[in-house]
Order: sequence, then C-alpha cells, then structure tokens
Amino acid sequence: MAEDLILELKGITKIFPGVKALDNVQFQLRRGEIHALMGENGAGKSTFIKVITGVHAAEEGHMYLNGQEVHFKGTQDAGAAGIAAVYQIPTSYMELTVTENIFIGHEIMKNGIIQWREMNKKAEELLARLHANFKVTEEVGALTIAQQQMVEIAKALSTDAKIIILDEPTAALTANESEELYRIVDELHEQGVSVIFISHRMEDMYRLAQRVTVFRDSRYIDTFDVDKITDKDLIKAMVGREITDMYPKPKVQIGQEIFKIENFSRLGYFKDVSLSVRAGEIVGLTGLVGAGRTETFQCVCGIEKPDSGRVFMNGKEVRIRKPKDAMEAGIILLPEDRRRQGLIMSWSLCDNVTLPIIEKLSKNNFIDHKKEYELSRNYLESVDTKAVSIFDKASTLSGGNQQKVVVAKALAQDHMKVVVMDEPTKGVDVGAKAEIYGIMGELAQKGYGIILISSEMPEILGMSDRIYVMCQGRVTGCLDREEVTQEKILELAMDQSGREVS
Amino acid sequence: MAGKSGRTIAATPQTGLKQKLLSLEGALVIIFILINVFGRVLSPNYNLSNVMRESPRYLAEIFMLFGMGFILVLGDIDISVGSIVCLSATIGCLTSNAGLPMGLAILITLLTGLCCGMINGFIATRFTELPTMIVTLGTQIIFRGIAEVSLGSGGSASLKDYEGIGILRAKVGPIPLAFFLIIICAVIFVIVLSRTTFGRHLYAIGSSKTAAQYAGVEVQKIRFFCFTLIGFLAGICGLFILASTYGANTTTGQGFEMEVIAMCVFGGIATTGGKGNLVGAFIASLVIVCLRIALGQINMNTQLILVIIGAMLIISVLVPSFRQRFLTLKKK
Repeated sequence: MAEDLILELKGITKIFPGVKALDNVQFQLRRGEIHALMGENGAGKSTFIKVITGVHAAEEGHMYLNGQEVHFKGTQDAGAAGIAAVYQIPTSYMELTVTENIFIGHEIMKNGIIQWREMNKKAEELLARLHANFKVTEEVGALTIAQQQMVEIAKALSTDAKIIILDEPTAALTANESEELYRIVDELHEQGVSVIFISHRMEDMYRLAQRVTVFRDSRYIDTFDVDKITDKDLIKAMVGREITDMYPKPKVQIGQEIFKIENFSRLGYFKDVSLSVRAGEIVGLTGLVGAGRTETFQCVCGIEKPDSGRVFMNGKEVRIRKPKDAMEAGIILLPEDRRRQGLIMSWSLCDNVTLPIIEKLSKNNFIDHKKEYELSRNYLESVDTKAVSIFDKASTLSGGNQQKVVVAKALAQDHMKVVVMDEPTKGVDVGAKAEIYGIMGELAQKGYGIILISSEMPEILGMSDRIYVMCQGRVTGCLDREEVTQEKILELAMDQSGREVS
Repeated sequence: MAGKSGRTIAATPQTGLKQKLLSLEGALVIIFILINVFGRVLSPNYNLSNVMRESPRYLAEIFMLFGMGFILVLGDIDISVGSIVCLSATIGCLTSNAGLPMGLAILITLLTGLCCGMINGFIATRFTELPTMIVTLGTQIIFRGIAEVSLGSGGSASLKDYEGIGILRAKVGPIPLAFFLIIICAVIFVIVLSRTTFGRHLYAIGSSKTAAQYAGVEVQKIRFFCFTLIGFLAGICGLFILASTYGANTTTGQGFEMEVIAMCVFGGIATTGGKGNLVGAFIASLVIVCLRIALGQINMNTQLILVIIGAMLIISVLVPSFRQRFLTLKKK
C-alpha cells in the first residue's frame, strides 16, 4: 500500500561556503500527521526547514508536494503552495494589533482600501479556531509569548497553509503555556493540517508526534514511530553515543550553611522569601513562571532594589546595593536570558569571560592582554567549549556552548562561593544539557553552593538536594530529595484555592 | 589545562601589517596626506603658517571630539555641547567684564561647562527611559537660552580685558598652544579608551547595557562621568573660542555638536555604540579641518564646503559595508 505523502524530500544536499549543512537528507511527511524533527544544535534541522520553505535552495535533491516535484525559488512560492513556518521567537510586529499582524502582506483590500471590518471578522474566526482568549484589536506586544505564537499560527492559517512548520515552539513557553500549545497543535491535526515540529524537549515529542525523524551532523539518521521508541534509543540516535546518566549527580559531603537570605520582599513581585544553601549543596527553586523566582535573585544580586531583605554569607551579613557587591561577596548569577543578560553577543568569547574581572587582569588600570588570553582560554577549555579560538564571537556559538561561556565567565571569578543558575538549560540540546549538569555536579563537589532556578521538572528532580517551591511571590514549601515527587511540587506551585497562577 | 575531551582553543590574536594598512585608520592617514598634497597643489597659500593661523576655531572644537568619542561608544549622544560652548564663553566673558581677575574668570568658564555636563549626566542617568538625544536636545535649548538671557538685548559681549586671556593665544613658532594641548589630550584619551579597564567598560556598555550591568559594570556612574567630562571639554572649547574671538554672542558654538559628531562618525565610531576608536576619529578630525582650510584658501563658498563634507561623511559610512560585500564576493 502506497503511503499518502503530502511532502517528500529525497537526497537533499545543501552546501554553505566551507560546510556541508545537509548531506543527502531524506524526509517523508504523511498527510495529516504530526512529525517531530529532532537532533542536536547544528544537526541541520533549521537549514532543512529553510530548504522546505524556500529560504535556501538545495544544491542537490528533489522535493515532492502531493507527489508532484516542486522547486521553490523563494518563501512566496512555498507560501503559495500552502507551507508556512512559525519560528521560535515570534516575528510579529509588537506595536501592531493582532489583526494587522495576521494579515500583514496579504491584507484584504477593495479598490486599494483596506477592509478592516472583514479582516477583523476573519481574524476572529481564526482565533476562535484556536480557542484563543484575546481580542483581535489588542496590540501584539501586550500579549504573552504563548499568545504571540497563536497569532503566528493564525497568520499561517490565514494563508490556508496545509503544512505548518513549528520551530522550537515550546522553547520560550512555560509548562502551562506548552499545554496550551499542545492543544492547538492537536486541533490543527484534527482539522487535517500536517505539522512538522522541531524541539529539544522529549515531552513535546511524546505528547504530540506520531513519528520522529532524527538528524545528526547534517545527516539523516532514522525515522521512528513514537510509540515504539525509548528515551535511550532516541538520545543515542541524536547524540551518537549513549548517555548513561542524564543527571550525573555525584555523592557530595554537604557542609556548613554558607548562604542565607531572609525576608526578601518587593512589592508586586515577591514577599518574605527566605532560603539557605550549604556548601556542596544543589538547591532547586521551582514554581510557575511569574512566581517571583527570577525577580527574587535579581534583587539578591543587586540588579534590582528590594524593599527589604538581608543576605548572609557564612553567617555574616553582607550589604548588596549593586551587582558588584554581590560578586565581591561571592554570589554569582548566571542570568536567565544569556543572549541579552549573560553575554555581549557581538564580543569575542575572551572579552566576555574577562569582563567581570578585567580590573584584576590589569596593572594600574592597563589591561594585561597576555594574562587575559591565557585565563579565558583556561576557563573556556575547562568547561569544554566547542570553539575554534577565544576570539570567536559569542553570537557564532550554539545555545549550549554560549551557556558554557557564561559558566566559564562565572568560574573566572575565583572568589565565587554561591552560583545562582537561572534556567541554565533553556534552549540547550540534549548533549550539551548533560554536560552542563556534569559541570554543576563538579561545582558541588568542589564545595560551591548552587541554586538552580528551573521550570523543568526532570532537571529539578534529577539534580537538587533540596527543592524550594514558590507560588505567587511566596515560598510555599521546601522538600528534601528523599520525599520529593512531581505531584508534591505541583501542589505547592499551585495557588491554595486550586486556581492556577499565571 | 585542556578540557575533558582534550579539545583545545586557539588563543593567538591574528594581527598583521597588511591588516593594519587595510584598516580604516590606515585609509584615513592616506586621505590626510592626499588632502594636504591636494591643498598644496590647489593654492600656494596652503602652508604651515596659514593653516595654523586659521586653525584656532577648529582646534577648540577638537577638544570636544574626545569626549564625544566616549559618549558615542557608550551608545549615547550629546547634542547640547554647542550650547555649552556658548554658555561657558558667555559666562566667562561677563564675569571678566564684571571685574573678576582673569584667572578666576577662566576657572568659572570651565566650571560652567562642567556643571552643564553634570546636569546632562544627572538627567540621563536618573531617567534612563529618556533617550539622550532628547535629553540633550532639551538642554541644548535651555543652555543657549540662558546664554541669550545673560547676553541681554545686544546679543553679544566683548571682553574688556583681553590681556589676561592672551596666554591662551600663545604660540611656539607658528604653532598655537592649543595644538600641543590637543596632542596631549589625544594621547591620553586614545590610551584610556583602547588600553584601560575604563575603556573596556565603555565598550561593554555601548554593546549591551544589560549584559554590562549583570557583569558588574557600573553603567550609570560611568555614563554620568562621561557626560560631565564632555561638558568640561566643551568648557575648554568655550574658553579657547573666547580667547580667539575676544567675546561671545548668541551664535557662538552653533553647530559644533554636529561637526564633532560628524568627525567621530567619519573616523569610524558608530552612533549605535560599542564600535570604533579615537585614533580614527582624531585623524578624521584633522582631515576635515585641513580640507576646510584648504578649500577656504581658494575662497570656496562656505556652504559649498559643507556640501562636500556632508557627502564625504555619507560615503565614509558606506565604505565599510561595501568593503564587507567585496570581501564576501572574493571568498566565493
């Protein structure tokens, strides 16, 4: 029996100057199927998507749509053929309304005049199809990222797309928002739309896809039926080796309490937050997004000003008024948004690593470049950064490697005692994730205190010795590794009245 | 210490003579030489003593170039400096005329500039949501307004005692004192920006204010300092203008801010922050000054000179992107 394929690609090869981005790759999409595309960063997924949507032309290979061979010369061709892509970071115009964004480029016109009423009506229909709970007249900038993604999906639907490609749709979403997205994708599926989606999250794939195709090192590895594979097989296919232990948590002799915060409050964000960390301990801090976790530690580290709150290092109170005070006290923050807060993307790796300690690498304020190069190389190598030279720009690295640079930057501050890692594995592929967990374990072994702020349940459960849960700006509980379960955490993360806090 | 995988990362910077010659600074030096040859061919009057005689107004302006370089690298802009020049020259002139000793009047002139800079810095760092373009547009109008009010209905003031300020007009041979001061300033500012931790912090702020803050750079303190610094330099400029024109009027320093910004941009400093250096800006300023004097020597209409300089500015900003295109073409 011949399969009903809506899209088929055979022998696709794409060469960029100096690199083979895709090497004889194949792919089959059945009509009405949800198909996951997985692989590490740099495996060629994004390039492959760009070949499908006509952004790149492949050097070799054939592409068949509904059995007919097609050649797309640009994104317009792909759009006309019913293929639409929704990218990881919404590309909407923030100042425009939902309607304007949905119909941008293909406004409904009559004699050159835009038909607002008709467009609003159509937009409402599209949003109703997605069960969206916002108005078409709202400005997109005022919506959450999840809602912005719905706008993007609605935009894709407005062009009557038969194939929708979602590029890491859940990377920027919270657990609840991801649920919402799953529901939408399910609905698209029921309406007969075929979906290709790229994701690093196993959860996404198990929850949604019927089949999964894995790429590695620009090559096609295999296609699996989702209900017939295990985590282990999939990771092996993606990484090319077996990861025996995703969460390599070494046995650590936990020492004295080294860090404590008391009664941190900031009006409208969090109230009376107290917690402590011991030497060698990994303390998880979880809760729904918006529970005040990130905001609390922005205040502790001097980025924002709290209304009240005291910080103790080794039992002695330290006053923190600005980020430098926190660093000098030995509290190092690895911020949530590494592209904006953690690194200067246009700078070299070396300059990024040495920025916080540049004064120590100077004599009479003159920078000692030799010292600077040597030191940054040592730290970048110690975390196994995949880079050619310390003069590579940060923007040229993959997400996982950028995170390693952020870690190297923290390690270079040699008086570090406590590390606060805010969502350290967000947007990082499986292989690099395991490496980052490995580094965390090593740091704990060396006696540092670690605070892991994360929304990802498996990593919180896998790495933490103790877990604090926050809800609506308050700490609602602290669980030990032995007693903790996913249910207990969720219970504490939800509002008492059972209502979910967003 | 290599990583677990034994992977190593290169740490040798790649700099060669060829790259240096191909750089923007190299190109600017060549343009500078060409302009001088061109000036010489164009007019026999284009010689050292004539150039130096014409130079004081331009030299006064170049003091502000260094501060503006810092401000632009920070990703900020200060368009009030022309008005600060006017206000400090005015206050200096009036206090001297009121009978204060020249030394004190000079000090007050410099302090006026400093205070204006502090006001800019205060507003810019206290209300970070305001773009500095707008902040300094406001103070540009305010500072000139204060100067105009102080000058009264005549709209101008002349120094009664121009003996004391004569020291600023001192010359070594044909070369004015200001020229030496500028060379000293150039050396200091270039080194501070390119070799010190302070310079590195300026680039960090200009490249990403947020990331710089997270890395412990004292963003607002540094911005405040730089605005104060350029105010002070505008005060020095005002002082030299006062010394060369023996007075101040409502149009003193008008347009200086744009001329200084143009020199910086011509020298490769991006107005978006984090890029460029003062070596380029300083050579660019000399290029522009020499060109203006050379064209002045053949009695070219001043407005026409401005048209030429404007065109040069736009072309110079386009050159790097053309160069990029050329290089990528070559790679293919």
